[in-house]
Amino acid sequence: MTIQEQEESLFEAARQLTGAARAAFLEQACAAQPDLRQSVESLLGAEPGAENFFKTATAPPGDLVRFLATETELNGTARKNGDGNGISEGLGTRIGNYKLLQKIGEGGCGVVYMAEQEKPIRRRVALKIIKLGMDTKSVIARFEAERQALAMMDHPNIARVYDAGATETGRPYFVMELVRGIKVTDYADQNHLDTRYRLDLFIQICQAIQHAHQKGIIHRDIKPSNILVTLHDGVPVPKVIDFGIAKAIEVRLTEKTLFTGYEQMIGTPAYMSPEQAEMSGLDVDTRSDIYSLGVLLYELLTGRTPFDPKKLLQHGLDEMRRTLREREPQRPSTMVTTLQGEELTVVAESHGAEAPKLISTLRGDLDWIVMKSLEKDRRRRYETANGLAMDIERYLHNEPVIARPPSRLYRFQKLVRRNKVVFGAAAVVLLVLLAGMSTSTWLLFREREARQQAVDAEKKEIELRQQAELREKITQLTLLVSQEKYQEANDLLGKVVFTQPTLEGAAVMRSLGEWQVRRGNVKEAADCFTQLLQVDAFDGWDVDTIDYLECGPVLLELGDKGQYEHFRHEAISRYAGTTYPVADRIVKVSLLLPADGKTLESLEPLAAMTLQTFTTADSGQQADTFRAAWQCISLALMEYRSGHYTQAAGWCRKCLDYPEYNAPRAATAQVILAMACWKLHESAESQAQLALARKAIEAKFAAGLDHGSAPSGFWFDWVFAKVLFQEAAAMTGNGSSS
Amino acid sequence: MDQQTDITRILSEAAAGRRQASEELLPLVYEELRRLAAARMAQEHSGHTLQATALVHEAWVRLTGGEGQKWANRAHFFAAASEAMRRVLIENARRKARLKHGGNLLRTEFEGLDLAVASPDEMILLVDEALEHFKLVDPEKEKIVVMKFFGGLTNQEVAESLGVTERTVERQWAYAKAWLFREIRKEQ
Repeated sequence: MTIQEQEESLFEAARQLTGAARAAFLEQACAAQPDLRQSVESLLGAEPGAENFFKTATAPPGDLVRFLATETELNGTARKNGDGNGISEGLGTRIGNYKLLQKIGEGGCGVVYMAEQEKPIRRRVALKIIKLGMDTKSVIARFEAERQALAMMDHPNIARVYDAGATETGRPYFVMELVRGIKVTDYADQNHLDTRYRLDLFIQICQAIQHAHQKGIIHRDIKPSNILVTLHDGVPVPKVIDFGIAKAIEVRLTEKTLFTGYEQMIGTPAYMSPEQAEMSGLDVDTRSDIYSLGVLLYELLTGRTPFDPKKLLQHGLDEMRRTLREREPQRPSTMVTTLQGEELTVVAESHGAEAPKLISTLRGDLDWIVMKSLEKDRRRRYETANGLAMDIERYLHNEPVIARPPSRLYRFQKLVRRNKVVFGAAAVVLLVLLAGMSTSTWLLFREREARQQAVDAEKKEIELRQQAELREKITQLTLLVSQEKYQEANDLLGKVVFTQPTLEGAAVMRSLGEWQVRRGNVKEAADCFTQLLQVDAFDGWDVDTIDYLECGPVLLELGDKGQYEHFRHEAISRYAGTTYPVADRIVKVSLLLPADGKTLESLEPLAAMTLQTFTTADSGQQADTFRAAWQCISLALMEYRSGHYTQAAGWCRKCLDYPEYNAPRAATAQVILAMACWKLHESAESQAQLALARKAIEAKFAAGLDHGSAPSGFWFDWVFAKVLFQEAAAMTGNGSSS
Repeated sequence: MDQQTDITRILSEAAAGRRQASEELLPLVYEELRRLAAARMAQEHSGHTLQATALVHEAWVRLTGGEGQKWANRAHFFAAASEAMRRVLIENARRKARLKHGGNLLRTEFEGLDLAVASPDEMILLVDEALEHFKLVDPEKEKIVVMKFFGGLTNQEVAESLGVTERTVERQWAYAKAWLFREIRKEQ
């Protein structure tokens, strides 16, 4: 129950009681709510007075009839033919020096007529008058405020006020410049104005709003129907015509205000800034107008508002507020891109251009200018309407604009946090990546410069633009991935082909691949990883060898032996002759399937390298037993595949001996050991080891794969173990698990 | 009659919640009331005994044929009639007040009005103003106030048109009066 409902039912109950009984009742019912009690008591106190008051205030019976009968003579004929409000002026009525000709518009509290002025000069004007019966105190005050606001302004793009007055019955009106024109958006569409032309008109509108702001007036209701385009000597001039809700009149915006019958809607939802929708209007400043200008610009450029007005009104005030406050609108270029067939053709036509051209015009600077105006946080919008206008001017002159997409460093930081494992151990790796990052950012600025200079041959320009677009797409992907919006990233990926190596590209493919693995989409995962390997990523180090480690097992999971063989061949040839710490990984990942003599031969040097580095890692000053344990696995597998089963078993046992436990590694060791034992006819031992491995692997996969970490084992370590396990199980006739 | 089917249609649309229909309704009702009033005045010059509600009922019959209308339509009709009467009363009250207070445009002259010596016309204006606030708080009850206070309808008539019990009307009207009076006193 709301406070008011409580108040009501308490009032009803209490008024049946008297004296002590009433007091006792209230005491109990309003136990912890002194405010409520006071409220109810004040109502009860008002009751007797109210009775008297209302009796006295009721008009004598015959009066009303008399009034009705005599209304005709006083206020002009009431129109019967659905004149909107109906109780209005008849045509030909005179008001002051003006003769009403025709109704041309109507708002919440006022009506606008076209009128003819006779003295001191003869001309047509617009006369705005408060609707009959609407002249409550608040409405009159608002009307007066509008008149004053308009009177203060003196700008070619704002309709001028000529005069003001009141009828004999005291209804206020004011007289304005008659603007014969149509909505700016309609004008632009009907004349198929291209983007530049629209921007030109828009700049003038910004200047008008700037003028108003300088006079201390906030418009609050900027929308196309309030901006008409008229022709002066054949030149189209936009004019702002309605300051109907200018300045702070305190009106509480509640659910009921918005939707009650005789609604006086304050502002239009599609054009309302988040702070306008949120509050009573007290905290709204000029930047709220900037937002609405942004919406107008959006509509001029794309034919749509950022949010669908019907949808905004559909689910009530709270939902509307939340949308305006939280939901990020699509960028203009994206919005147009998502239009289908008919709609797209219409929009393109209205802009006098082909759809792809329109989209590419919007993409980039124009996108960012619009989005900056539409920022939820008003501190991030343009400070002034002029600021917005000037940025557009800069765009038109191919100068750098102020508006920028969110900082790349910010996004990169998130990416690092997300993929800490990959960027993990060595600080060296991180620095290298950072260097790579700045390079790509720097390249982007360079590209902008190249565009600005417009000196190069067009071919080069196109090429650079393509690169930028690709990078932009990758950046978008990176952002999505860092926000863990994998599905959207995947959808966006589409048929992106990496023609250029970028670190972000690699990171994206990797993340998506892992995500696919977690979802069990092995085929898609394999696609991602193979793509990843195509990216000629940064040379050496941890980064892309882990990619190999990820890709290999997945390919086998997929059951694509052919691909795997191709893959291992490539891996080996790529890394022939490399040194620590990479060699052992290549060995390991290349031996997931039995290898023929030739392959083994090509692996020899890598295996030898592994052995060498193992000795160093195992003991001595630079001991790294973690590495050493893993290297055992590689060596064990190498021996096994080469047919040296005893040695293989030896390596496995050594691996299991290391104190730092790592589950998947242990499982892998057990599997290889099981296989070696089997070959050595030690079946009991073999079964035992296999059972241990099975238990761990089954448990892990039942619980679901997560990303994992170096100490506890990565997901691909588990897949690796699983692949080997399946081989072992098949070989020993033990039937495999999932 | 053509007009009858016309207004029935509008009433149904208004009952279905279409705003435009509600707006169309008001001038129609108003027009009818005026005509009836003028006709009555022509017949009985004194006008003492004329009740506005009688007009409303007559208008109802004339416009819709009376019986056989859905109660929702009735509700809208009577609400519209009451609203029409409200506007007329307010217009006249204002005119008188302006004459009394010197013809300013804005209503600032009504501030500082002494409740004890207010004339009925001035009281009507105070109620109207308080009602604006009340509407923001409770639009449902506001309708009841308009019908009872401006429209002069009885509890039964209001109950019938809104489709609630008389008891409910009585209860809500009592609450509304107390609320409005409290509000008016606050402004003084």
